[in-house]
Amino acid sequence: MAGEVNGKTAIRILLVDDEEEFVTTLSERMEMRGFDASVAFDGQKALETLKTRVPDVMVLDLRMPGIDGMEVLERVKKTNPEAQVIILTGHGSYKDEEQARRLGAFDYLQKPVGVDTLVKSIQKAYQQKIESAYAAEPSDESQR
Amino acid sequence: MNQETEKTLAFFGRMTANLTHEFKNILAIIQESAGLMEDIMAISPLAKDKYQERFNNSMNTIKNQLQRGMEMASRFNRFAHSPDHNSAELELGETMVHFCTLTERFARLKHITLQADSQNGQEIKITTNPLLLYMVLFYSLDACLSVLPAQCEIRLISAKKDENAAVEIACTGKQAPSPEQFFTGLRQSNAWGELENTAEQLNAELKCNTDDLRFYLILK
Repeated sequence: MAGEVNGKTAIRILLVDDEEEFVTTLSERMEMRGFDASVAFDGQKALETLKTRVPDVMVLDLRMPGIDGMEVLERVKKTNPEAQVIILTGHGSYKDEEQARRLGAFDYLQKPVGVDTLVKSIQKAYQQKIESAYAAEPSDESQR
Repeated sequence: MNQETEKTLAFFGRMTANLTHEFKNILAIIQESAGLMEDIMAISPLAKDKYQERFNNSMNTIKNQLQRGMEMASRFNRFAHSPDHNSAELELGETMVHFCTLTERFARLKHITLQADSQNGQEIKITTNPLLLYMVLFYSLDACLSVLPAQCEIRLISAKKDENAAVEIACTGKQAPSPEQFFTGLRQSNAWGELENTAEQLNAELKCNTDDLRFYLILK
């Protein structure tokens, strides 16, 4: 569900990365662009956050201490399939990209990424989430 | 491609992927910090005063990351030159520090601490094959990481053992396995087989101390 920033409805995003300076700064920049952003510094914290605050879009690193991004992606898609996940990683393996997409990642971006590219991807992911929610609602005819 | 070349390429591949990952993180932090400064300036030129502290923080972050990047690049460059000569003179303690800086991320991902140390702080000069030395250190680390749980510590200590230069690999930790479990796990790992083969090529002896979690690479 979308959150609020300055009284306006905002896309709720969760940024997950163990590079704290990176993710904190990125979060500030996302807030400046009207997103309702929060951060988690590892996979375990990200999964805990999901229990109280389900984001519209999660931006997720792959290689992290403890539970890695691939496992977080797999679990999120099981428990909260409506949440869209964008992988943002420094890891460039084709195999990982293939696996992430197979597990349901919306996009796979390489670090460092331009902020405009990331914003566009988040907006598209949010759009996809809205469309999926409409498609899942029973139509008038099927309700009769 | 013969088996030795394949093994060397696989080793270089893992090291390079790990280090370029670190570089990408550094570049991403610099990019976001510079981007934040640009965002602040774009609000209004006056915004710089309001956000002065954040602005200064971003500037410091950029400087620190540049330092981190330059150190990493120098170490990576030195590592990349390791196959240039079959034999070179090295200071063992300095080589341990160098190796640990390059591979610290492998340990960090498992919540394990990796540290270089030297016995009594003594300088130990050796003449050896630099590439093979890096490879035996890498396989030693890889084998330890495959059996140790989180919160353990691995220390690579440059030492003298029976008049020979040696690397002592010492593992500790509250949750660490018993010596028996540790050495059984090591011997079952793929890295241990590679370690034995490469140690032989380097003319190094592998000696296990089964009283605790410690083994030695004795360089002859």
